[in-house]
This record gives sequence, structure tokens and C-alpha cells, in this order.
Amino acid sequence: MSAATETVRAAPDEGGSLAAVTAKLAGRSLMLIPRVPSTFIPSLVFPIFLVVAFSGAFSALVKLPGFPVPKMIDWVLPMAIVQGAAFAGITTGLGVARDLEGGFFDRLRLAPVRPTALVTGPLLAAAGRSLPPYLIVLVVGLLSGARMPGGIPGALVLLVASVGIAIVAGGWAVGLALRIKSMQAAPLMQVGVFLLIFLSTAQVPLSVMTGWLHTVARFNPMTYVLALGRQGFIGGLTWHESWPGLLALGAGCVLFTLFAVRGLRSFTD
Amino acid sequence: MRGGWGPVLALSKRSVVNTIRQPQFVIPSLFFPLFFAALNVASFNKSIGLPGFPKVDSFLDFMLAATVVQGVLFGATGGGNDMAVDIQDGFFDRLVASPVPRWSILVGRLGGAAALGAAQATLFTGIMVLFGASIKGGIPSFLAIVVVSVVLAVAIGGFAVALALRSGSAEAVQASFPIFFISLFLSSAFFPRQLMHGWFKTAATYNPISWMVEGLRNLVIRGFDLGQVGRALAVSGGLGVVSITLASLALRSRVRSA
Repeated sequence: MSAATETVRAAPDEGGSLAAVTAKLAGRSLMLIPRVPSTFIPSLVFPIFLVVAFSGAFSALVKLPGFPVPKMIDWVLPMAIVQGAAFAGITTGLGVARDLEGGFFDRLRLAPVRPTALVTGPLLAAAGRSLPPYLIVLVVGLLSGARMPGGIPGALVLLVASVGIAIVAGGWAVGLALRIKSMQAAPLMQVGVFLLIFLSTAQVPLSVMTGWLHTVARFNPMTYVLALGRQGFIGGLTWHESWPGLLALGAGCVLFTLFAVRGLRSFTD
Repeated sequence: MRGGWGPVLALSKRSVVNTIRQPQFVIPSLFFPLFFAALNVASFNKSIGLPGFPKVDSFLDFMLAATVVQGVLFGATGGGNDMAVDIQDGFFDRLVASPVPRWSILVGRLGGAAALGAAQATLFTGIMVLFGASIKGGIPSFLAIVVVSVVLAVAIGGFAVALALRSGSAEAVQASFPIFFISLFLSSAFFPRQLMHGWFKTAATYNPISWMVEGLRNLVIRGFDLGQVGRALAVSGGLGVVSITLASLALRSRVRSA
């Protein structure tokens, strides 16, 4: 029996509630950051690349009427940070898929732990994994010239948006991993999150969009999550801009956690 | 079948059939360029009124060349991936042991990439014209776009095959994809250079992908011009000379060690 399984088995004796096992499993997942950096680096590199490429190529878009920031990097940076958090969620789902392929997940299922912990553990890890990209990409963006007139409160709402999206993406990815039980779920995990983000105000505000995208983005909950996270880069925080994003995040976290938990039912033995 | 073009045709046909039978590679190379085109047109259409934006009827016209180039970049690395799989499963060794000319192994694989490039250019242009894009240069411009796409597909396929022959690993070939992706994004493919600033504008100005895309774009938004065709062919052909040289050297080295 591996040390990791022993750790999880030991959890109930330590007062082993759902919370304790969740924390143990999340800790195991987070350990992969230093041990297998290749599972973490994309959630850092891709957002930085997005900031560089989008704020450089599309810098003139801010001259369009209705664009609410003076520099493109102010618009792109929060989106890139949220994107990095979504990647962190997907990486957690990939970890579950890897455990399923390697047989470790079966050993976890045989252990005397509440099955729900097999989902809540990775989701807590997803939230944890979203913190390094948040901090590093934010600092890189600010050093590259982004302005955050909303100050600390602005940074905090962006943190809420990032952690929330990491849990939503994690729920989606873990749910798919539990149903498909293979790393072949990876493209579906990525495409789902990619579409959710880019079919929103990721690139430009609603007032600048035209045609079908305007309609889709207006009904896409990600638009409101990005509006929540971007407040600090546009000006001060308002409840009017905050509550739709908070509602979208809350509903998304509940729905996708349930999606992941129900994925456990696909095990028939 | 001992020499000449028979083996080349057979291996090219096998390469095309391989590609068609792997929808996990074909679908992204068709879906993502068209998705980005639709997304960028809806996002950036108002920008065509900005001072300095080239004169176009819609952003769709502006995006056509970039969409074709993006699709070719996505698709052409598949040939290298297939070559790596051939090496991993032993088919390459059987080819080397068979009485086919060595060069046909390389040319056959690149022939498949060329066919996919031509198909993508035709399909993307057709779909975008259906959605309202207009090609000012008409049929000659369209044919020039297809020819440049074929040359570019061979060039990018050459790099991917060279990497496959050197590494023998499909993962290594797939890992090379971000290099092409980054090159495309650090160019003027998606927005005019005239509206860029600072170091990004400098990077886009010296990026050969910009020269090629701008050449193709001018065929769409201004009209047919041999100078623009030459500009696009010079870049794609130059890349092709380098990549085929690298692939030939890698093939020689791989055959020696087989």
C-alpha cells in the first residue's frame, strides 16, 4: 500500500471528517506542483502569453467608442488571470483522469472515506492551484504597465473570480474524468472552458461586439464573472457590477460540483 | 514500384488516408481557425473604422488570409506526428528495408501535407466567401492563396517531419506546435501592423509570418498582384527550403541508424 493511500486511510481516525479527507487529497494534488511542474506551467505560461499577445496586437481597440479602459492590457489582464485559474481547474481534472488510468483512484474508492471527498479534494486543490497564476500573472501585468485604480478591493474581487472559476472548471473537468475515465477526456475539458471564456467579453466589451457574439456573450455567465473581476481595473467597486458575477460563480460552483459528484455514480462495482 | 514516383504517390495517398482517419487531428485544424475567424469578426468588426485600418468592406475580408494560414499551421504538423508514429510502431524500419527510394519516404509524407493544405485553403476560402467575404483579386488571387498554402504546408510539414525523424517521438512533434502558434500571434495576422505600437509592432514587422499573411491579405483586399504573390511565396518557399534541408539531413541520419 502506498504512503498516499495510507495517508487517506488514516484520515477518519484523525477526526476524519469529509473536511479532513478533502484537505488530505487536496494536499496530495498540490504536491504535484513542485514535483511535476509540467502539470502546472501551462496555467502560468498561457495567461502571460495572452497578456503579451492580446495587449500588443489589439492595443488600438481602446480608441473605439465605449471601450472602458485606457490601455488594452487593463482589459486583457483580468481575463488572462481568470483563464489561468480555469487551466488550474482543468489540470486538477487531468490529475483525476491520471489516477483513474493508473488505478490509484480505485484504491481510494476502496478506502473507508466518504466518496464525496474524492471530488471535494480535487476541487479544493483546483482552488489552491489558481493562487500562484493569480499572483504571478497579476504582478507581471502590473509591472508591464497595467493600472488598477480599484486597488486592494479590486485585487480581492479578481481573486474571488479566479478561485470561483477554478472550482467551476475543476468541477467540469473532474466530472468528465469520472465519466470518461481516461486522459482522452482532456480535449473535451479544454474546449468546454475555452468556449465558455472566449464566447464572453474576453476580448472586447459588449458595446464593441457585433452580431451573434453580442447575443451569446450577453447570456454567457462568464461575461458577468469577468465584469466582477475587472472592476478594479476600470474604476471602483460597485454592487451593481458585483452581484451578477457573484451569483454566476455561486451557481456555477454548486452545479459543477454536483456534476462531478454525480460522476461517481458511473462506477457500477 | 522500385523507383520513381510510384512510391511517392502511394506514400502520399497513405498520408492523406492517415489524416482523414484521425478526426482528432483533422477537426481541430478545421474548427479552430473558423471559430477564431467568427469570433474575431464579431469582436473587431467596428475596428475597421479606426484611422490607419486598411480599406476593407468588413473584418471578414481582413481575416481570410490569417484563417487560411492558421489552418495550415494547425494541420501541417500532423504529418510529422504520423511520421513519429511510423517510427514508434516499426513501419518506418520496414519502409527502409523495402526497395523504395529513400527520398520517397520524405516526399510522400510532405505530399500528404500539401494535399491537406490545398484542401484547407479551398475549404476556408469557400466558407468565408459564403459568409460574405469578397476577394478583390477574384480567381487568380484564390489560386495564388491555394498555391502559397500548399508551399507553406510543405514547409511546416518539413519542420515537423525533421523533428519526428530526429526524436522519433510523437509527443515531441506535438510539443513543437506552440512555436508556430506563438509565431502567428506575434505577427500582423489578426490586426494591422499600422495600428500596433512599441516592441510588439517591431516584432510583428520582423516576423516573416507577417510578410506572408500581408501578401496574401493584399490579394484579398486590394486585388491580384504578382509582387504580393512573390512576397508570400518567398517566405513560404524560404521556410520550405530550410525545413526540407533539415528533414533530409534527419532522414539520412535516421536511415543510417536504422
